[in-house]
Amino acid sequence: MADLYRKEEQVKKELLRELYTDLTRPLAGYSRSGKIWIGFLLLLIAVGTIMYVRQLKIGLGVTDMRDIASWGLYISDFVFFVAVSLVGSLISAILKLSNINWATPLTRIAEIIAVAALFSALAIIVVDMGRPDRLLNIFVYGRLQSPIVWDIIVVNSYLVISLLLLYLPLIPDIALLRKNMGHKPRWQQRMYKILSVGWQGTEEQFKILNLSITSLMILIVPVALSIHTVTSWLFASTLRPGWDSTLFGPYFVAGAFMVGAAAVVIVMYIVRGQYKYQEYITNYHFDMMGKLLVLTSLIYLYFNINEYLVPAYKMKSAEGEHILGLFVGDYSLMFWFVQLCGMLVPILLMIFKPFRKPKPLMIIAVFIVIGAFFKRYLIVVPTQLHPFLPIQNYPASYHHYSPTFSECSITLGGIAFVALVITLFIKFFPIIPIWETAHEKGISNETINN
Amino acid sequence: MAKFKIVVSFLLLAFSFSAFSQSEKWLVTADNAKKNNPLTINPKNMAVGKNVFMRSCKACHGINADGKGRTQSPNLIADEFQKQTDGAIFFKVFTGKNKMPSFKAKLKEEEIWSVVNYLRVLVNPSAVPPAVDIKLEVSADDAAKSITAFVLTADSAKLPLQDVDVHFFIKRYFGLMRIAELINNTGKDGKVTVNIPEKIIGDSLGNITVIAKIENNFLYNDTEVSLTKLWATPLTTGDETFNQRSLWGARDKSPLWLLFMANGIILGVWAVIIFVIYNIFRIKKAGKIFIK
Repeated sequence: MADLYRKEEQVKKELLRELYTDLTRPLAGYSRSGKIWIGFLLLLIAVGTIMYVRQLKIGLGVTDMRDIASWGLYISDFVFFVAVSLVGSLISAILKLSNINWATPLTRIAEIIAVAALFSALAIIVVDMGRPDRLLNIFVYGRLQSPIVWDIIVVNSYLVISLLLLYLPLIPDIALLRKNMGHKPRWQQRMYKILSVGWQGTEEQFKILNLSITSLMILIVPVALSIHTVTSWLFASTLRPGWDSTLFGPYFVAGAFMVGAAAVVIVMYIVRGQYKYQEYITNYHFDMMGKLLVLTSLIYLYFNINEYLVPAYKMKSAEGEHILGLFVGDYSLMFWFVQLCGMLVPILLMIFKPFRKPKPLMIIAVFIVIGAFFKRYLIVVPTQLHPFLPIQNYPASYHHYSPTFSECSITLGGIAFVALVITLFIKFFPIIPIWETAHEKGISNETINN
Repeated sequence: MAKFKIVVSFLLLAFSFSAFSQSEKWLVTADNAKKNNPLTINPKNMAVGKNVFMRSCKACHGINADGKGRTQSPNLIADEFQKQTDGAIFFKVFTGKNKMPSFKAKLKEEEIWSVVNYLRVLVNPSAVPPAVDIKLEVSADDAAKSITAFVLTADSAKLPLQDVDVHFFIKRYFGLMRIAELINNTGKDGKVTVNIPEKIIGDSLGNITVIAKIENNFLYNDTEVSLTKLWATPLTTGDETFNQRSLWGARDKSPLWLLFMANGIILGVWAVIIFVIYNIFRIKKAGKIFIK
């Protein structure tokens, strides 16, 4: 009997070792392609930074934002990044709280996407400011009546919660790294030591950890909903055509879940291909993510129909002009690309199982993300080009907005920064949770601790 | 939908043609171009021309008439422009075309002619003598609420000067509000009197500052004097509305329900965050006991 137990223990230890070796493989070092990738991202970030320094020197005149379109690509970026970050709460809280366990290997991917996107979202807001040196004024003089102040409060709270929700489940894994990463540079070992906060895997520690994670999971759901609802209120609390809608909150949240899930699919696909994680991120996961994507996309489609067809049926003067601009006017190409390639066709394809296989799903997800990006642009820009109040004595060019090289390169820099944060995270921490996967495979705490 | 596209593209086509036609020559018929300028170039006309230019032309054509105003506009001091006859320039200002508005209804004919003269002098500054200093004094009549400007030579002789245009303004919060005419010429005694508009609002006590200016003049340098009088209706602010708590109020005037709700949510969320951060320290503490 004791023998059998020992043997079983031995098998489990073997299994854990295998699991550990597999899941820490990305930490081993940088491959050639990995170095090129990081170099490429750094290059994009450097170009963005140079253009930003130039913008600081010359002023916002380097953008195409003028009196009429005073929100441009930067604000579209902000809304896009905030939308992407919402997926953290969807995968690691909403699914988990509903006892859906297939998403466990994806939680960390979702959380790191959320955190990275939030960093970029906060940065791009500062980029959009003509006088970033006055940033502190928003805290000194900000009025609680202003949706912009709510947005700042809620985005920062969400960032803290997301960081904690990323970090807490990492603690046991970092403790494993602390024990086994003796060959790494000293600073890295120190980092593991500090971040593992003396984790020994005792019952009490697990109890505190689980309590904290559960509290955060419950907390993050309303905060996540409010972060994007408040972002939508920045638009919806005005009377302008295209923005003046009571649906805007859920409309934004639904869109965010869709683009976030698509972003997770892309990162999943890359991680799986790069580190041969077919065993951990299986076709089943892609299939389920595909179904989730269909669900979120259908909800978003429903809101789109409401947002466009109801005003289009009425064609109120200003609203009608806005709608016609989207349907058949200047923005029709982008609008129909977003609606068809970014939503309708993906939904139709993903309903069929073959398209939920990893590669086709990834390609569809790329289209959804691109479509979602342009969608944010379509929400932010065209509305402003139809001002309610007549303005006199300004150049005709103010009636048009097309992003300049500065704006585009800073945007690319922001996207590259998101990718870099995710890449570096994968290089320092296991992207698939080790202890949670071990638990699911029936390996007990004692085995992990020893 | 296809029909709509055709309409849209047709409109675009038409629009691009109109944009093209903008660059075409602006033809002036011979008899219009031959029209004679009835005004001679004298200081009085010049002052009218400069004043009108500053008010109606500067915004687009720029302060130096070089086309560097707020919008792209022709350079009026270029040779190509100046070689036109007075009549042609008059005709263009009178009728307008594309971005150039018609001044038919906005300006008197003499005013347009004096602007033409002004443009001629701009490229030929030696046509007018250099400007000299003068003395400007103001006095007030409390009963009539009128203000009199008195223009004298700056030398010790102090002779009154006739036909000097004086501009009158009332100082407002963000700038100067013109009162009386665009041009108010002094009489033989060197004086010109204007009335203060009724029901003008002053500061909280009812003070207004009246400013008399000599500017845009070719004979005399710019000068101004001001005078403060208790002539206006005191400014009353609706403090009772603005001091209430409201959504549009200042930071310390937030509605109570909003403060309560927003701060309640913030406190609730951050209480949980702080609890979780505190738990990290508890985890650390629990680990230390184990090591012992």
